[in-house]
Amino acid sequence: MQISTPSYLNSLERPQLRLFHQSDLEPKQVNDKSFCTNSGVPVINQPESPQPIKKQQRVVEVFYSTFLTIFLAEFGDKTQLSTLLMSAQSQSPWVVFLGSAAALITTSLLGVLLGQWLATRLSPRTLETAAGASLLLISVMLLWDIAQS
Amino acid sequence: MNWHLLGVSFITVFLSELGDKSQLAAIALSGRSPAPRAVFFGTAAALLLTSLLGAIAGSWASGLLPVRLVKAIAAVGFALLAVRLLSPEEQESRGTEEDVID
Repeated sequence: MQISTPSYLNSLERPQLRLFHQSDLEPKQVNDKSFCTNSGVPVINQPESPQPIKKQQRVVEVFYSTFLTIFLAEFGDKTQLSTLLMSAQSQSPWVVFLGSAAALITTSLLGVLLGQWLATRLSPRTLETAAGASLLLISVMLLWDIAQS
Repeated sequence: MNWHLLGVSFITVFLSELGDKSQLAAIALSGRSPAPRAVFFGTAAALLLTSLLGAIAGSWASGLLPVRLVKAIAAVGFALLAVRLLSPEEQESRGTEEDVID
């Protein structure tokens, strides 16, 4: 006999890090097909349980893909060169790194907040097109940088 | 703690990063992502890593080379960056003339 956690436990809110919008946390699992056993505990449909795991996988994928994209875009960028030159000619490179890190966190926070705000103003279709066009523009700019150097 | 240097490096990096292609990528990726906080952490981590590499390379170079030479290289480097940033139109028009790769 296989020992497994009862299906109704999968739908309960587990204390795990969920890096997505609050609206995603609204109980989708509880639907019309749910019913109560004799003990009064609701039994939830089995197909809903893999969703939290898939969403977490997607979050990790988003993290790594973003990390790789930005890392490649930023390597050899003027910001990195400025940091390099400033830390070289100052006698305290870690102060330079601290200031640079604070500025980078601020600008990335601004960028993400702006992106989120735009997502509320534009239709998903427009947003997808604009995002795709921006990323294409970035790749062209990177190729341009390579061609010029 | 050299507050002046901290302020200068903050402002320099902030201004050079504002509207930079990496910020554009952060805006684009976060707009269409179901996990904007993952986008933020990924962006911040990547930027911090590149900045750390730059700081390490800079401190390594300053340890290796004489101070005056390093300062001279830094001055020239900043001047080149400034020229590139301040003349985008000239660069674009020059680029179309120079850009004959064949």
